[in-house]
Amino acid sequence: MIRIWSWGALIIGMIYFILPLVGMTEFSLSMRRGEYSFDAYAVVLSDSQFQATFSYSVIMALFTIVFGVLLVVPTAYWVRLRMPELRPYVEFITLLPLVIPAIVVVFGYIRLYNTSSWLPMTGTALGTNILLMFGYATLSLPYMYRAVDTGLRAVDVGTLTEAAQSLGASWVTILARIILPNVLAAVLSGAFLTFAIVMGEFTMAALLDRPAFGPYMQLLGANRAYEPSALAVIAFAITWACMGLIQLVTRFTKHTRAQT
Amino acid sequence: MAFLEISHLDKSFGANRVVKDFNLSVEQGEFVSLLGPSGCGKTTVLRMVAGFETPSSGNIAIDGRDVVNLRPNQRNIGMVFQAYALFPNLTVAQNVAFGLKVAGRAKAETAARVTEMLALIGLPDLADRYPFQLSGGQQQRVALARALAVQPHLLLLDEPLSALDAKIRASLRTEIREIQQRLGITTVFVTHDQEEALSMSDRIVVMNGGMADQIGTPFEIYNRPRTRFVAGFVGTLSRFEAVVKDPAKGAVSLGKQTITLDQQIDAAAGARVTLALRPEAAHLGRFNGCDVILPGKIAEVHFMGSVIRIKADVDGQLMSLDTFNRAETPPPRIGTEVEISLAARDFIVLSA
Amino acid sequence: MAGMTSLRRFAPLRWLGMVPFFAFTFLFLILPTLYIVFGAFRTPQGAFTFDNILALNTPSIRSAYWVSIKVSFMSALLGCLIGFAMAAAVTVGRLPRGVRNPLVTFSGVASNFAGVPLAFAFIATIGPAGLITAYLRTEWGINLRLLGFNLLSTKGLILTYLFFQIPLMILIITPALDGLKREWREAAAILGASGFQYWRSVALPILFPSILGTLALLFANAFGAVATAIALTGPSLNIAPILLYAQIRGDVLGSPNLGYALAFGMIVITGLANTVYIWLRARSERWLK
Repeated sequence: MIRIWSWGALIIGMIYFILPLVGMTEFSLSMRRGEYSFDAYAVVLSDSQFQATFSYSVIMALFTIVFGVLLVVPTAYWVRLRMPELRPYVEFITLLPLVIPAIVVVFGYIRLYNTSSWLPMTGTALGTNILLMFGYATLSLPYMYRAVDTGLRAVDVGTLTEAAQSLGASWVTILARIILPNVLAAVLSGAFLTFAIVMGEFTMAALLDRPAFGPYMQLLGANRAYEPSALAVIAFAITWACMGLIQLVTRFTKHTRAQT
Repeated sequence: MAFLEISHLDKSFGANRVVKDFNLSVEQGEFVSLLGPSGCGKTTVLRMVAGFETPSSGNIAIDGRDVVNLRPNQRNIGMVFQAYALFPNLTVAQNVAFGLKVAGRAKAETAARVTEMLALIGLPDLADRYPFQLSGGQQQRVALARALAVQPHLLLLDEPLSALDAKIRASLRTEIREIQQRLGITTVFVTHDQEEALSMSDRIVVMNGGMADQIGTPFEIYNRPRTRFVAGFVGTLSRFEAVVKDPAKGAVSLGKQTITLDQQIDAAAGARVTLALRPEAAHLGRFNGCDVILPGKIAEVHFMGSVIRIKADVDGQLMSLDTFNRAETPPPRIGTEVEISLAARDFIVLSA
Repeated sequence: MAGMTSLRRFAPLRWLGMVPFFAFTFLFLILPTLYIVFGAFRTPQGAFTFDNILALNTPSIRSAYWVSIKVSFMSALLGCLIGFAMAAAVTVGRLPRGVRNPLVTFSGVASNFAGVPLAFAFIATIGPAGLITAYLRTEWGINLRLLGFNLLSTKGLILTYLFFQIPLMILIITPALDGLKREWREAAAILGASGFQYWRSVALPILFPSILGTLALLFANAFGAVATAIALTGPSLNIAPILLYAQIRGDVLGSPNLGYALAFGMIVITGLANTVYIWLRARSERWLK
């Protein structure tokens, strides 16, 4: 009896999830009348705008990841090692991006860092890119921090640090050679999630007027019929790949831990 | 017919047969322990009695009624779990009242019963606390009160003491036994701790590999273990290989000596048997009432406080012996040649 | 030990390690937000005023907030119910073990599949020319539009939001369901309780703070979502985030400070929802430690 209800709930739920995925896939293949084809994909992929915005977002994602790692790993490490009393405050701050809508944050950026302000970041393309990258970094902060902090919990930070110090290692060496490799799986999980977030992000890029993948998708969606579905399939594949990589990384490290 | 009658009980999980032809009769008011190492099937037996597992075959009857096809909530059994299993969202009083409430008893009756139960476990002032505000020992006593509040026919205790620390374990042990005797409730207790089983039970079932190896009073189980497993699991034993000389007279040769045991031996002359001896049955030096004296050499000395456990080398086999600590006699030095005296009737002959 | 003493000598070094983090979050998270909050209480000349907040009380802005709250609440409520049913099915619903991990993995993907592409997927499926719309029309003669369904409406928005709301609920509530100990169910059963009595008196009260807390989180999650709504309906639908988006792009309200007040209103609403979430979570963890 219970089992029948369970199957019912699960199957109805899965139908809801599968139909849009089928719908977008089917639509993306229907550009040519009467038969399935990859025409929509061909059009999208050969679009110079697509190539430009896609690579822009990939590069932004990579910079965001590097920046996020450099910001979060030392901070999380330092909090665990020397400032445990700050933990609740740091955790609260890292969760703020879930509370404050991204549109509000970017609204603040536009007013605070415009050309007539004390820090005119939006004055140049480079400045705006950096500002957008900072915006992405705040968006991914909750996930990045939580992933790294969980990773650090699994290793004995204090003992590792003291052992490295007794062998004469500097702080940079300790972080780069001891701490980072030990939380690599966690860092990679955070990195892939950040990648997925940045690739799909729309609001910040659109309002800062940068040529990112999200605004491009929206623009195409307003003007074309089949290409948006192809884009949706591509975006879904990226999300899926990122999540798959997270799973893979976690599983891989579990194996190496079991062996040692 | 006994109050709880378990006959030919069998349980397999897939190809894994965890309980094999298990039989047990428990009289009304009796406290019976199922004792064995983890994985011996004792918990599975208890869970089948409770109704959480269905036997592959066999019968369970409580008070003359076959319960195998009854659901747990129809069996009128009280159970205490190892991890307390108090409902975390309910106060102590609400936890104790739970069974009465779902049975639809009157409010006044329930309240009176809760007060009575909390008095019984000695925690009358904690009615409004939540489980997370209690210590482990307090939680387990509340769990006991909750199980007893519905006045069950039968009380099942699934390792209720193993999550607690040593001191509380010992005091709660006495308390549970007292309450059980006062209420006269038939109780089945599962444990892997021989000390608990020996001190609390009317009878003990020693289980091994899904079977009952031996059923008996604590005194019998300790002093006359019937199998090698029971002997090894309950208490400490020294074992010796001996050769049977005359089975009818009970004569065996142990090293260079011939010893006449107090019993017939169920083996042919010339066969090897294992003799076992409790550490408290052997004494250093000559001792009144002992008819066997063996030469030995002190190999190890463990000072344990009130007791000193000595291991002596007797003809190449180690023998454990306990002596009480006395302030005026320091323990012997390792390597000292000694005489060990013991009574032949204290030897236990182990079957395979 | 050498490290310990050298550190003690430079005690301020402890704080130096936190400078990058605090500087970054202050400049790019807290300060921009505070700027908006203060802007909401200022005249263009910089004097303190409540006028901006009071000016939010126009039919159009009121309705924008109200529709946003409705959409967010309904999608959160339905997301909670359906997500709970699915999570319960794979945890306590006696389904084969094999279905659980794929569902959790899929939930991780689907909860992150939001924004513009999600809107495209739904347009392709039940938009005016979508797969299901066309199928129902040609095969069954059912016209969804005539039946009152329109994807580019609040109902359509709720239906679309569920695609990330349900998985988020599954991800959060599955561990909570795992936290229900087998012994609780067994203890209830042996005390004579039926399955229904166990759920009513024990399991649901234990889960209730988590469920309600997740409801608040899902609400905030939907309330701040801009991209899906814009890609689905364009700038036409009058909901708070879209209105704010239009205001930032082109000052449609005709007053920058009114824009701050609009944004401030959004922070207050999501902030309240999250406070409820954090408070209820702390409550549920208190029981279960």
